[in-house]
Amino acid sequence: MKDVLLIALTHVTTAIRERVTLFWFLVFPVFMLVVLSIIFGQIGQEGEIRFDIALIDQDRAAPAARDFSPMIVEVFRELATPQLPGQEPLFALHEPPDGEDPEGFVEREVTALRRGRRAAVVVIPAGFGDAVLRAISAPMGEEPEPARLAVYMSRTDTASQMASEIVAQVLSEIDREILIRSGRFDPSREIATETVWLGRSDAETRYIDFLLPGVILMGFFANGLFGVPGAILFNRDRRILRRYWVTPMSVPRFLAGFSLGHLALCGLQFALLFLLGRYGFGATISFAAPIPFLTLALAAVTFLSFGFLIASLARTANAGMAVANVLNMPMMFLSGMFFPIVGLPSFLLAVVYVNPVSYLVSGLRASVGVESGPFSPALLVGVPLGWIALSMLVAARRLKWDVER
Amino acid sequence: MVEPVLLRVIDLVKHYGDVHAINGISFDVPSASVFTLLGPNGAGKTTTLEILEGIRESDSGEIEVFGIRLRRVTRAVKERMGVLLQDGGFEPYLKVREIMRLFASFFESPMPIDHVLSQVALSDKAGALVRTLSGGQKQRLAVGAALINDPELIFLDEPTTGLDPQARRNMWSIVDALRAAGKTIVLTTHYMEEAEALSDRVCIMDHGVIIAQGAPRELTQDFGEETMIEFRGDELSADALEKLRACCVDLRADGATVTLETEDLPATMESLFDWSRSQGVRLQNLIVRQPNLEDVFLSLTGRRLRE
Repeated sequence: MKDVLLIALTHVTTAIRERVTLFWFLVFPVFMLVVLSIIFGQIGQEGEIRFDIALIDQDRAAPAARDFSPMIVEVFRELATPQLPGQEPLFALHEPPDGEDPEGFVEREVTALRRGRRAAVVVIPAGFGDAVLRAISAPMGEEPEPARLAVYMSRTDTASQMASEIVAQVLSEIDREILIRSGRFDPSREIATETVWLGRSDAETRYIDFLLPGVILMGFFANGLFGVPGAILFNRDRRILRRYWVTPMSVPRFLAGFSLGHLALCGLQFALLFLLGRYGFGATISFAAPIPFLTLALAAVTFLSFGFLIASLARTANAGMAVANVLNMPMMFLSGMFFPIVGLPSFLLAVVYVNPVSYLVSGLRASVGVESGPFSPALLVGVPLGWIALSMLVAARRLKWDVER
Repeated sequence: MVEPVLLRVIDLVKHYGDVHAINGISFDVPSASVFTLLGPNGAGKTTTLEILEGIRESDSGEIEVFGIRLRRVTRAVKERMGVLLQDGGFEPYLKVREIMRLFASFFESPMPIDHVLSQVALSDKAGALVRTLSGGQKQRLAVGAALINDPELIFLDEPTTGLDPQARRNMWSIVDALRAAGKTIVLTTHYMEEAEALSDRVCIMDHGVIIAQGAPRELTQDFGEETMIEFRGDELSADALEKLRACCVDLRADGATVTLETEDLPATMESLFDWSRSQGVRLQNLIVRQPNLEDVFLSLTGRRLRE
């Protein structure tokens, strides 16, 4: 047993001491966690992201408009005020200072929008109040000219695109409120919508809770896809394995030690990423239950066997790395590891459905209550087990443990 | 006293496709001796050793080792033997002591690691990463790994290939010490002087067959009382060489190198100088020596060992 343990320790030690391996096993997953959390972590969390919005009321001088343009301004100002102590407001509102030429302010703010310093510029034009009054006081059956607001957005700016949805929603609510006040809209006749939230009921899913299982599996995936064939093929080609075969060490015992070392490395990856996710980014999901633990173990074994499959398909270590590189990106990104898979064309969805990573990611997220996923429990377990069986069968028949002559 | 046979190889055959790597070789290795397989590259030495080490299986033939006759080397046999591979590597990011601990774990009764490290003069490198070792140190580490189980039978495949002269001498000292400790050593080499310096018995192989075997002195004794004269000469014509052949027992020309065998050294030297003057040939690197294994190989195959 000592020989098996020392083979495992050798696998772990060399992986940690070799800088390139260490980078892919530990540093890269941590890097992905940090970068993706910073870029996308704040999306969908009200109060934690702020949009710079410019608002110009060019109609405030008109007496008839006092009920309408101030209402819009008030709503935007409300959204620019923290709702809870310490919470960031949704909008940072930029209004023209007293005495500034409104036209000049609009021009300046639109330039700021082009340069990415504003997410939207909302202009309430002169005559807006009159237009609203005409619209709501027109007899039924007539179609008066609608009141118009000008909203400038930037197609090339992500924040502007996100802000456009929010601004449109805000303006729709204001429109609805005006119709209610004018008696043209009866909210009691409105179709009631009841939203049923799936997944955890105690809180909305935060991006870090969605991301963390994906990044953990990415670490496992890289470990299996690159680490396993790399270690086996390089050690075979450098005749390191051959040294073992002239001693009583056998292939089955070596495999046991190697696999144990692989699982230990996965354990290290998991511990590091989990601690960073929880204490660095406030992840709330817990893996301390049998199902998440078994899912992680299933993932580690699936990727281990997948590594054996690649090692058995390649004649040399360099060829093995090339095969791994070709498979890496499609398997990683067509699995839902980092982003939900929605609206993919059918030929890409076919890849998603044969990709074992899809089932493992979905299964792990389901096991920690992040999302239910599109796959049945039988598929979540069955597809990875099928891949394990196929990979091990091919590896048992094809994998060469010594250099050929 | 005749030592008992520790390893017996009987009619071993191995083909790689159409290539006959070894073709029905048989030999005995006495206990507590150094037995050398000598031959040029491609002679079949390494294939023979790989079969004896258990890396490859023979197509036919048998091995008898430690008194046990078998087709394939078993785990129990591996417990009692040590192997230095010709081109085996080590994990570059492990330390010397970690390598030794790993290999010690493969055996039921390993030697103390510090003792083996001291045996191969690597005690001061115990904490060094393998990737920082020199070629000679790596080779000593390989010997250490091969000795960790205190083996009775040790295979050394080209142990000094690629080493500098000092490292080669160090390796010879280790082999001498192992023989003095009563170990049985089977080594392969294509260095004639190494075979002569280390071996109790030499088996000369070429193209997968054994062409001669015996103690080095026995093999060279076939040349009787002859002395070898060797020199280099430029642009020697066949006619000129034919004239020289008349003054010696045998003459072999290998490129610009000419070797004469003579039973009457003064007379042959005198004739050689006359020939040199008459033919206008400058005798470069002229030496007079006793016959060696290179001459044996040359006389049997018409080729040099290192061709």
